[in-house]
Amino acid sequence: MLDRLIDGYTLSVLIFAGINVIAAYSFYVPFKTGQVSLGQAGFMAVGAYASAVATQKFAIPFPLALLFGGLLAGLIGVLVGFPALRIKGVYLLLLTLGFAEIISVIALSWDYVGGAQGFRGIRYNPFTLDYVIVIIVALIFFFSRLERSSLGRAMDSIHQDETAAEVMGIDVVRIKLLAFGLGALIAGLAGALYAHQATFMDSTTFNILLGVEILVFVVVGGASTYWGPLFGAVVLNAFPEVLRALREWLELLPAQWVNFYPMNAVYSSLREFLDFENAKRLIAYGVILIVTMILRPNGILTRDLMRRWHIARWKVGHA
Amino acid sequence: MHDATTRPVCLRIEGLTKRFGGFYALNDLRMQVERGHVHALIGPNGAGKTTFFNLITGVLPSDAGAVFFEGERLDDLRPSQRTMRGIARTFQNIRLFPHLTVVENAMLGEHCRVYPSVWKALGKGVLWGAGRQERRMRANAIELLEFLGIADRLDAKSSDLPYGAQRKLELARALATRPRLLLLDEPAAGMNPRETEELDGVIKRIRDRGITIILIEHDMKLVMGISDVVTVLNFGTMIAEGAPEKVRQDPVVIEAYLGEDVLL
Repeated sequence: MLDRLIDGYTLSVLIFAGINVIAAYSFYVPFKTGQVSLGQAGFMAVGAYASAVATQKFAIPFPLALLFGGLLAGLIGVLVGFPALRIKGVYLLLLTLGFAEIISVIALSWDYVGGAQGFRGIRYNPFTLDYVIVIIVALIFFFSRLERSSLGRAMDSIHQDETAAEVMGIDVVRIKLLAFGLGALIAGLAGALYAHQATFMDSTTFNILLGVEILVFVVVGGASTYWGPLFGAVVLNAFPEVLRALREWLELLPAQWVNFYPMNAVYSSLREFLDFENAKRLIAYGVILIVTMILRPNGILTRDLMRRWHIARWKVGHA
Repeated sequence: MHDATTRPVCLRIEGLTKRFGGFYALNDLRMQVERGHVHALIGPNGAGKTTFFNLITGVLPSDAGAVFFEGERLDDLRPSQRTMRGIARTFQNIRLFPHLTVVENAMLGEHCRVYPSVWKALGKGVLWGAGRQERRMRANAIELLEFLGIADRLDAKSSDLPYGAQRKLELARALATRPRLLLLDEPAAGMNPRETEELDGVIKRIRDRGITIILIEHDMKLVMGISDVVTVLNFGTMIAEGAPEKVRQDPVVIEAYLGEDVLL
């Protein structure tokens, strides 16, 4: 529906930003129980391939394929979640990273899903943006409830002190498995949406760097509130677009302003700086990550901040 | 103090053993805790007292022996399942959830009673929306905080509370799990004499609610005044047990404490 109002380029930027928001939420759920996963890209791949097989080889309608991709990713998430229960920190990072690599190798070597040639000719879904918006709204609704619920507090307590939580009667095992599975399910949905938007994917589409990017979205945006992943993913996806717009604006400058000595050097270096291909984007993410970690180690948005805003708004409303 | 004829057993320990490498933190410990008692566990540093708590709550696995709570064997249960059965504890070094508020910390204890399964917590608690249960949990938590006299800063972060109040909050969180057996690990540590006296009253009132208490404590004035039975551990074995007056005069106990800065 929205696609009639927006040009194709903006639309595609919005869609991929939205898919990244969903992917960021897939990282946020297990992280709420203290589980750091670099393997969310792997779960996206599961959802993407499963749904693409469903629509292409079995002619299943997209909504069902989307559901199938999400549920299969969620199921595999629970299976991966079992070994993940016993390990923490760097070792869990490595385990999830290894999982994503395994999925990638399977995608590369399994000819049924295209193998090294990649999965081609996936049916294009014209309503991706609508799906993305509905899913994001549903997720925000869900997380807003979770944050004010007993289960949400239980998840926070596991993140802060797993042993103390367990001793206070919190079923740490089941809640961590639930969170890991739910995160994988959400990642699967993101992957399925991606596949039917891009219509092509191969074993490198959902690579380790994507897993790292997803982590950066959440860590920069802030992981203590459910607004953080949304904020981080939107800002970091908008960032290259803003620079691209600046560059286009730069080209509108009259030539006589910049064709003499000091200005022409400034102009060309600016132009080059704003030329934003992939490698530079990752460098920029790295810089943003470091700066955020120094200035706001808990991310840009924190729950305390959101509460203060909420109270401020409440006071204004009742003044 | 209480009639001691037909008192049912709350906790029974049979041959409980825990090794760390070649070191026996607990060695073939046998003891019983009677229902309704305040049972103190004392001993020099490193005697195995906290290890004992860790084995009863399931934080650490035991190497041998068995733990029976109200006649049922606990050894295969995870800590959360033991809490569901009715055992709660506090920690020697405070382990509150620092990013949760005071009232949220206290509410967390009741989670396992309100939502005995994860699916209930997800379905009824999150998807369905549980305003009523939330309000009731909050009211119960506030009642406990008032009982302990720390209901004045409900929405402060727990890490912002003064030390004594943090100890009380741990106690409130443990009580919120509605235990029948409460394990207190040095509750008076770091408290001034006035706070310790308050704590003495609080422990008595908890006991009067029908909760059995096992108390690890170095403050002998508190221990001797409040306990029905005192068990003395040294190097992982029991060296004395009995009424406080009897234990404090036991030469074996006095010898074990030689060189320690403790007034028996």
